Amino acid sequence: MNRRSLLTFVVSFACSSVSWSAPATEAESFLKQAVDEVLAVSDRASNPSALADKVRPILQRYISFETMARRAVGPGWRQFAPDQQKKATQLFTTLVIRSYSSKFTPGERPVMSYQAAVAPAAGRVDVPTKLVYRGSRYSVTYRLEQEGSWKITDVVIEGVSLIANYRTQLDAKFKAGGAPAVITSLEQSVSRPK
Amino acid sequence: MKTALRLLMPVAAVFLVDCTSTKTATTPAPVAATTQVNATDALDDYDTVPVSDPLEPLNRATFALNHGLYKVLFRPIAKGYTSITPKPVRQGVDNAFENAKFPIRFVNSSLQGKFKRAGKEVQKFGVNTFAGFGGLIKQSDRMPSLAEVPSEDTGQTLATWAIGHGPFLVLPLFGPSSAREAVGLVGDYALNPVNWLFKLRGGAEKTEWIPSAVNTVRSLPDQLQRYDSSRANSVDPYVSVRSVFYQNRQAASDQ
Repeated sequence: MNRRSLLTFVVSFACSSVSWSAPATEAESFLKQAVDEVLAVSDRASNPSALADKVRPILQRYISFETMARRAVGPGWRQFAPDQQKKATQLFTTLVIRSYSSKFTPGERPVMSYQAAVAPAAGRVDVPTKLVYRGSRYSVTYRLEQEGSWKITDVVIEGVSLIANYRTQLDAKFKAGGAPAVITSLEQSVSRPK
Repeated sequence: MKTALRLLMPVAAVFLVDCTSTKTATTPAPVAATTQVNATDALDDYDTVPVSDPLEPLNRATFALNHGLYKVLFRPIAKGYTSITPKPVRQGVDNAFENAKFPIRFVNSSLQGKFKRAGKEVQKFGVNTFAGFGGLIKQSDRMPSLAEVPSEDTGQTLATWAIGHGPFLVLPLFGPSSAREAVGLVGDYALNPVNWLFKLRGGAEKTEWIPSAVNTVRSLPDQLQRYDSSRANSVDPYVSVRSVFYQNRQAASDQ
């Protein structure tokens, strides 16, 4: 290896490591901020439904519900009319917020530890965390993507991806009855009392 | 123990043949995006892979039956148990029973060739048994090197040996499983010392059944909570529980 190619190699290596680690750090601090805000609110909530109302505006700032809804539906999403997409996103948002806040018992604060973030693709960072909550340990990975700013696009609890789980359900609904079937099933799920 | 394992072999063999011949698939797990046929955008790597569920009608019926049984049988028992025991007591009992399951974790770590992990299990068992009053206190959680040892079980060993899930099964009372994981449950049962007394004496005449029964009762609140959270806010509870099962087992065997 001559000197110039060595230099190119070193420089390109340095650049690539910077471009991989900077987004990871950025995404991680974004996530930390989101978690801190949610915890501050959940400390003060008296019950899960009050919590759902209180965290809603915060989650809407940090989570990309549009991306989540689109991926939860899967390839069928392209055949949704714009107003159907809007409706499905709204319903899905309510469902996700409810399912998120039902996991908390107000007053019990989880202890979170962040692990080294990884960047599986450009514009995407996964932040694995360990959670100790009410005497049990959980592994929770947050998936973040750059959409202008960073946004959370999936939460993977004990290996179970929220989006993958909804994708199996909604994809089957879409195949059975198209966009109307997806919207109806989401409506039913939202109106079902827990 | 030996007889239990010997009994297990033919059963396992039948299932194993079945499993290897069946092409299995898992529910969408985030996998690297290679083909973008099913994607909605560049970073969408959730693929919808069909699950092997040839018994779906029967499974759905068992699923509904279980839901009813949990309601009339398990929930009242779990409620009774949680109302008569304070939280710290339940935590201690859970710790002790989980500690006693050491042979499951040790044998399966070893069978997968994870000897370092098997060694850590020995350390954990020693620390919790001797410094944690017979396992009542999980002292190992305070030791960074022992706090995060992924626990191995028989189902994961079979997965490591490249045996597929086989068809999805909903077992009466036990809930979601697959042919492979059902064999795994039998293995775990045989390796759990809690059941040894019962097996060795071969009967429920005297008090041999008590450890197994207590183990079942104490694990109910946790299992019901897991069941509830995997069907809560779902669009199709059956599909949701199935997806959670496959993803969860995949993550466990990947570790």
